[in-house]
Amino acid sequence: MTHWRSLEELAGSAEFREALAHEFPPGADEPASGMSRRSFVQLLGASIALSGLGGCLERPRERILPYVSNPPELTPGLAQYYATSMVLGGYATGLLVESHAGRPTKVEGNPDHPASLGAAGVFEQASVLQLYDPHRARRPRRASKELSWPEFTSAVSPAKLRRYVGDRGAGLHFLLEPTSSPFVGDLLVRLRALYPAVGIHFYGPLTSPMLTAAGTMAFGRALQPVYDFRSADVVLALDADFLASMPFHLRYAHDFAERRRITGPSDPMNRLYAAEPVFSPTGSLADHRLRTTGTSISEVAWLVLAELVQNHGLSPEGMPAGMRSLLGTVETDDGRLRWSRAVAADLAAHRGRSVVIAGERQPVEVQVIAHLLNSALGNWGKTVRYIDSPFAAPGNDGGGLGPLMDASAAGQVTTLAVLEGNPCYNAPADLDFSSRFSKLYLTLYLGLYENETAAEAKMFIPALHYLESWGDARAYDGTASLVQPLISPLYGGRTPADVLLAFLGEPDAQVHQQLRQFWQQRVASADFEHFWDTALQRGVLPDTSAPSVTPTLKWNGLDQLLTRSPAGRPPANEPAVELVFLPDPKVYDGTFAGSPWLQELPHPITKLTWDNAAMLSPGTAARIGVGSGDMLLLEADRRTLRVPALIVPGHADDSIALNLGYGRWADGEPVARGVGFNAYRLLPSMRYILPAVSATQALHSGIPRRHDLAVTQTHWAMEGRPLVLQAALEDYRHHPDFTRGDKGRTLSLYEPHKYTGNQWAMVIDQSLCTGCGGCVVACQAENNIPVVGKEGVLNSREMHWLRIDRYFSGPADDPEVVAQPMLCQHCEKAPCEYVCPVSATKHSPDGLNEMVYNRCVGTRFCSNNCPYKVRRFNWFDYNAEVSETEAMAKNPDVTVRARGVMEKCSFCVQRIRASEIEAQIAGHPVRDGQFTTACAQACPTKAIIFGSFADPDSAVAHAAAEPRAYAVLHELGTEPRVRYLARITNPNQALEDQHGV
Amino acid sequence: MAALFSPHSNVVARRVVVLAVLAVVGIPLLLMWWVRTPYVTGQGHTVAQPIPLFSHQIHVTGLQIDCRYCHYAVERAATAGMPSSETCIPCHSQVWRTGPFFAPVRASLTSKAPIPWQRINRLPDYVFFNHAIHVNKGVGCETCHGRVDQMAQIRQAVPLTMSWCLDCHNQPERYLRPVDQVTVMGWHPSQGSQLSQGRELKRRYHVRELTTCTACHR
Repeated sequence: MTHWRSLEELAGSAEFREALAHEFPPGADEPASGMSRRSFVQLLGASIALSGLGGCLERPRERILPYVSNPPELTPGLAQYYATSMVLGGYATGLLVESHAGRPTKVEGNPDHPASLGAAGVFEQASVLQLYDPHRARRPRRASKELSWPEFTSAVSPAKLRRYVGDRGAGLHFLLEPTSSPFVGDLLVRLRALYPAVGIHFYGPLTSPMLTAAGTMAFGRALQPVYDFRSADVVLALDADFLASMPFHLRYAHDFAERRRITGPSDPMNRLYAAEPVFSPTGSLADHRLRTTGTSISEVAWLVLAELVQNHGLSPEGMPAGMRSLLGTVETDDGRLRWSRAVAADLAAHRGRSVVIAGERQPVEVQVIAHLLNSALGNWGKTVRYIDSPFAAPGNDGGGLGPLMDASAAGQVTTLAVLEGNPCYNAPADLDFSSRFSKLYLTLYLGLYENETAAEAKMFIPALHYLESWGDARAYDGTASLVQPLISPLYGGRTPADVLLAFLGEPDAQVHQQLRQFWQQRVASADFEHFWDTALQRGVLPDTSAPSVTPTLKWNGLDQLLTRSPAGRPPANEPAVELVFLPDPKVYDGTFAGSPWLQELPHPITKLTWDNAAMLSPGTAARIGVGSGDMLLLEADRRTLRVPALIVPGHADDSIALNLGYGRWADGEPVARGVGFNAYRLLPSMRYILPAVSATQALHSGIPRRHDLAVTQTHWAMEGRPLVLQAALEDYRHHPDFTRGDKGRTLSLYEPHKYTGNQWAMVIDQSLCTGCGGCVVACQAENNIPVVGKEGVLNSREMHWLRIDRYFSGPADDPEVVAQPMLCQHCEKAPCEYVCPVSATKHSPDGLNEMVYNRCVGTRFCSNNCPYKVRRFNWFDYNAEVSETEAMAKNPDVTVRARGVMEKCSFCVQRIRASEIEAQIAGHPVRDGQFTTACAQACPTKAIIFGSFADPDSAVAHAAAEPRAYAVLHELGTEPRVRYLARITNPNQALEDQHGV
Repeated sequence: MAALFSPHSNVVARRVVVLAVLAVVGIPLLLMWWVRTPYVTGQGHTVAQPIPLFSHQIHVTGLQIDCRYCHYAVERAATAGMPSSETCIPCHSQVWRTGPFFAPVRASLTSKAPIPWQRINRLPDYVFFNHAIHVNKGVGCETCHGRVDQMAQIRQAVPLTMSWCLDCHNQPERYLRPVDQVTVMGWHPSQGSQLSQGRELKRRYHVRELTTCTACHR
């Protein structure tokens, strides 16, 4: 099977072949544009100063500042780890945060927390940089005047506020992000007790209203499903990216991988079916992926259900006989039908051992049919359990933005407090939130940044970062955990709880004390101190997982939903294009748009950085007449958006997908400002899919017709060599040695190295890698890797030590995709070592390819000779512009590299040496699993295994001994220490000859 | 027509050629010698400290205080650990608590501001030295810090160049001592030669000749 990396490569365009011939594209060594005369003169002055050897004469003076009194828990030079939780989309993920002398530097997952199990995703990893962001807001203000905290608390104290909102609080409204915090929930209940008429609303653009609505429709109660992929043999994902973006995805990915991982040809493997419009990490792991529009997912779901009911005799619990006839067999020779039939047959054969999961962006009917499917398959209580939503719902309104805007239109809102979130930017376009908000009598906003909402608010209070604050939250499965601060506030600020306490008339209450009291009242523990300390230490409150609820289907009302059969629908012949809104895998809903790490993280599938784009299939692009980078004009409900097109192989035809979170305009977030295009301008209320929009090439005069997209995809292309090996499970069983040509010793002219001690090595399982990018950000945080900006990426200057190559195979419109993490292979016969004229890269006795920055003179010969293209050159002094606070995020155990040196993956040598020292002092050898690299630690599916080949019982040695292990570019004789496990898929024979629709 | 160059110019030309060759070889050699001089390495240098009269000599020789009383993290952490201002108090609440030379400590305690000691033994940022592993393998404080017990004012005792580090990393037996003797100043092997005892200790402590780059550069 030939793999190709981009459409340009597949087509073999002249431009692509030209680009391949160069190590770096022309102009990679030119300085960033926009250099002013002033900075040119500065550079000139600097070089004159250097030529005078001025720096050699003065010995730098350093001070040592000891503590005045030693904190008993801290030894300078030893890192500490604290358990805390980060909340995203309302749900908590438990973390262990590394702290050096009081400054948090690295976030890891908490192995004891059910939503993490030791893994940490891109947002968690990057959150530490947000803490130190110099652009965070620092000044509370009323209009533009300074506002002190006592002034604020007295302004909103019940005594003052009652004059405006009366005793009942009419006209007083709060808008929060959906929160699962029991403590904040309790404060809201107290607030409602104080002001019975208060309006409390929740809005998070990515918190799907569909889940609750589907629960209410199917069960008469807002139940949410929790899946157990450990017991699932067959999984059907209906536009559900449960491996990389849905809430609880770290846990789901872990559990899914437990059943995906094979240690030999005889092991069983689960099977994944995915139907989706946009290529997602989940789709890339699917054994069978149905490329179909977002609006047609409901048909697929319906077809599977009809098939189960009609041909397999499986009905959802208590389904009235009359309804069975609604699910009549559809006689169409549609690929979709064949796919659905095969999936239904496979699911029926795995009753009680399967999962059907619907994506959050799918409408209520798909969610309900997924509930029905799981019921029909007997999965309830086995692979699917239902719990009450952990979100706080104080009182009876629980209104979203819609009811708030209705109240505002009716003149019933006088005071609105927005506690975090950013509704002026991310509210649905049809609500016109921003202009309504700015007209209200009194508006208050609590936020991390002076963002779009802050600009419209009359009062602004800076918020605290979670690493600076006390709090609590629940995970998706209901497990409660605590949020504890690791550092005192850098810029001042308050939490939503502080503000709510001020409204309750308790401005002097400390959140920490209140939180303790809250839990003390609720915990039946004789020794609360012990309970509290244990909870803080472990990061989880024991036995707080939500109890399972036995659901009962409410059938009245469902007949209408089921009647809408595909047969009854008019054929979709009109060339309408649907528009799908997606959470962004890098900036989420825009919250992280200010994070340079995440902006520069390549998109898992498109490899796009510093932008978003309208993703569409090659066919649709041809029909509209655009290519990648051409500006598209999207129009929906009389609102328009100009956005560049980006052709993505495997995208569904007649579907355009847009990532939310870009196109920010507030001055308070200069990194985010002007990056990408604001998809919220078209986002409707309560929906994530617009069935019909108009998409044309933007041809207006005076507007650029093209946009440069900084895509890392075609850089460092590998000339079509078979780098990723893959096989179906059946074939692997018959030919377990299919990788034999790509491993083993090779003949060499070079003397072998003398190896002593541990032999560090890595194995990467390509069956498990989703390409999510968690490892890339983990590596960036651990190893002080700089960002280079969009222009730098366009010039191929990105510095990531670990990148994820993504290979397509098969036809351009419906390919398969494989992710391959690529890092320094630590070759035993390393081509880079032979060409370095100054011995700046050497081989260590424990098998590391070492890079010595202080010796490197920057010839770049090593990079030229590296067949894997994993060496990175510091073209500029990227750390020169790092602010004082951002410098605090640097790992003190790793050198911050200067301009003009090469750098590359070191196998986290700082962790290796630290573990060796620890083990030597304790008097035992380094144990397998005593430590691991940052990338392996972050990986939710544990696709990366690190350890020593010297220990034959180590996990890495076992993995490398698997028959499907191989070395990339083995024929070159580099003998890499990174081995890959060929990708094994588990296709269904019934669908083998059919490939998509 | 007179010759353009006098015969003397041959001599000049030869001298210039010889000087040029000497300069090409000599100037780099000179620079290489120069960076190894104490002037550049800082060996023997002292720096004015915030408590000018603080004397290691008095505390170590006179009072027999173990190094680890103040440098408390040396057996566990990469840094030896500097004493907090409070560390002085148990003794100095009894003696010498009022004199002007103790004023910086009192000021530090009242203002809660640290005492700004000046660093003497400085390694470049790309060198990662770990105290704990050295003292746990029998490298004495004295081996790198010199006779601190004789220093009224602390100074850098050794050049701290890479070749100086490698001296020991290549032949650790020449410097090792029993772990319980690491803080002893002026230590000598009680029986046998340093080399014979050093070899024995190297075996017993599993001391490796660690000269791989990433042992120190990460």
